[in-house]
Amino acid sequence: MSRASIAVLVSIILLPLVVRHAIATEIWIFAIFGLGLNLLLGYTGLLSFGQSTFFGSAAYVAGWLLKHYAIDVFLALGVGVAVGAVSALLVGYLCVQRSGLYFIMLTFALNQLFYFIAYQWTSVTGGEDGMAGIPRPALLGIDFKDPLNYYLFVSLLFLISLWLMQRIVESPLGRILQAIRENEVRAEAVGYNVPRFKLLAFVIGGAFSGLAGVLYAMLFGIMPLEAISFVFSGNVVFATLIGGSGSLYGPIIGSFVFIWLSESVSVLWARWPLLLGLAFVIVVLFLRGGVVEAWSRFWLWHSSKQRT
Amino acid sequence: MLYALMGLGLSLITGVLNIPNFAHGALFAIGAYLLVTTVNVIGNFWLALVVAPVGVALLGLAIEYAGIRRLYAAGHDYQLLFTFGLALILSEGIILVWGPVGYSYLPPPVLRGGLDLGFTMYPKYRIFVMVAAGLLVLATWLFLEKTRYGAIMRAGIENKEMVSLLGIDIHRLFTVAFALGAYLAGIAGALTAPIRGINPGMGVDMLGIAFVVVALGGLGNLLGAIAAGLLIGVAQAIVAAYWTEASTAVIFAVMAAVLLVRPQGLFGIR
Repeated sequence: MSRASIAVLVSIILLPLVVRHAIATEIWIFAIFGLGLNLLLGYTGLLSFGQSTFFGSAAYVAGWLLKHYAIDVFLALGVGVAVGAVSALLVGYLCVQRSGLYFIMLTFALNQLFYFIAYQWTSVTGGEDGMAGIPRPALLGIDFKDPLNYYLFVSLLFLISLWLMQRIVESPLGRILQAIRENEVRAEAVGYNVPRFKLLAFVIGGAFSGLAGVLYAMLFGIMPLEAISFVFSGNVVFATLIGGSGSLYGPIIGSFVFIWLSESVSVLWARWPLLLGLAFVIVVLFLRGGVVEAWSRFWLWHSSKQRT
Repeated sequence: MLYALMGLGLSLITGVLNIPNFAHGALFAIGAYLLVTTVNVIGNFWLALVVAPVGVALLGLAIEYAGIRRLYAAGHDYQLLFTFGLALILSEGIILVWGPVGYSYLPPPVLRGGLDLGFTMYPKYRIFVMVAAGLLVLATWLFLEKTRYGAIMRAGIENKEMVSLLGIDIHRLFTVAFALGAYLAGIAGALTAPIRGINPGMGVDMLGIAFVVVALGGLGNLLGAIAAGLLIGVAQAIVAAYWTEASTAVIFAVMAAVLLVRPQGLFGIR
């Protein structure tokens, strides 16, 4: 077992002791979401600005089924993963044909499409009020209404996701995706069908987002409209970048920092997105490379000071 | 026509500077808010219509100078994060300064009421907006196609290294392009205020539309932006008449449909 995975295990145990269970659970859900994005952003070099499309679609569909047809948890998760993957297939098909700025803009514009559908289709999604009353059914006799039980369940799913993602990244598929990130033309020349692989990365990322979406809806019992908005997509990009993209554990660190900060600040001030925006700007201008780099720079500075 | 104006400004910024400008919608909203505030202060709509977009352009100038300038070497991810953060700051700033509730705002007395076109009545102000936006698009087109600096700007879209090798200050070009794009967003916002009123969410709604216009029309492609803006405006108007709820979603559906057939956009070459 590597040091990083031990650190993850230890933090899973310690986290509910430090913060509220709901926040602790949200951190791991957001980390799953970040893992999915990072496959695109960090490993394939695709900046998707529409991840909440898949997150939100999965949450709405699974939430609807949970609410009206009382399906069990496994089925809900399966539906979420499937919806996430299928919506990613649809969106990805349109997007992967373009690259660079176009790609970013298209993922964003299609995110807006889904947002406005959710916004207007009030009979199903509840519109601005969100889809409320999503139950959290028991599984195999374990009562998920107990926050700690649900926390452990989410943590377990997170560990499985992390393990899966590690397998994907280190598999031949993961290597091809990294080759595309490093040099798209060369990957094409070597004989790989680049758009096909990008699409595949999109679908896998969408499946992870879908899983996160369902867990999120079950955690809060409500699927708010904001969770399918582009701001939410921006949040996960931000979390991944502050954690450091391109490393498997980056989004996890980012999720910690982001959820913890936003949960503690949003209670204090209703205009907290202003501070969030400020944080984005400051990070981009002064701390590019994320928390991991800032940390190492701090130590460099610290040790250089000690020497003199 | 308003969509074309928005798309044109964004298209310039995206084309010349090669950055995803997520703050474009916020600039639009600020244009609208500035107009209403200036009218309230000086009491003259026409003067305010001149002043407000210039204010937005100055804001754009400051943003480019203080922030975006330092990010050309960074990846799109950081540029995106920066403009996205900026958009959050600006739209939250609007709420802080002007409050979270929207206002409706009436056009100046001269332009109130309808005009009898023979077959139908049409609000005077809307006709004014159409003409004004058309003139602005035309002016931008003339500037880009017929003046020396416009030619340099178009060259900047095509090949930045070459332009700077020819001894042209590329950074100043970037600043001018951003300010011009911001100006177009600002005036689009100012013109919109009397039609739809002002509310803090207006920027985000417009941002999506502007991106659609650019994606449909092609980066830096003037004709494309105009055509895409018109196409989307007409599609929205038609759908709004029959199925009001879907009138926003249809914009994106049109985009998806066009991109299925022509992935490079209507007039795109890249």
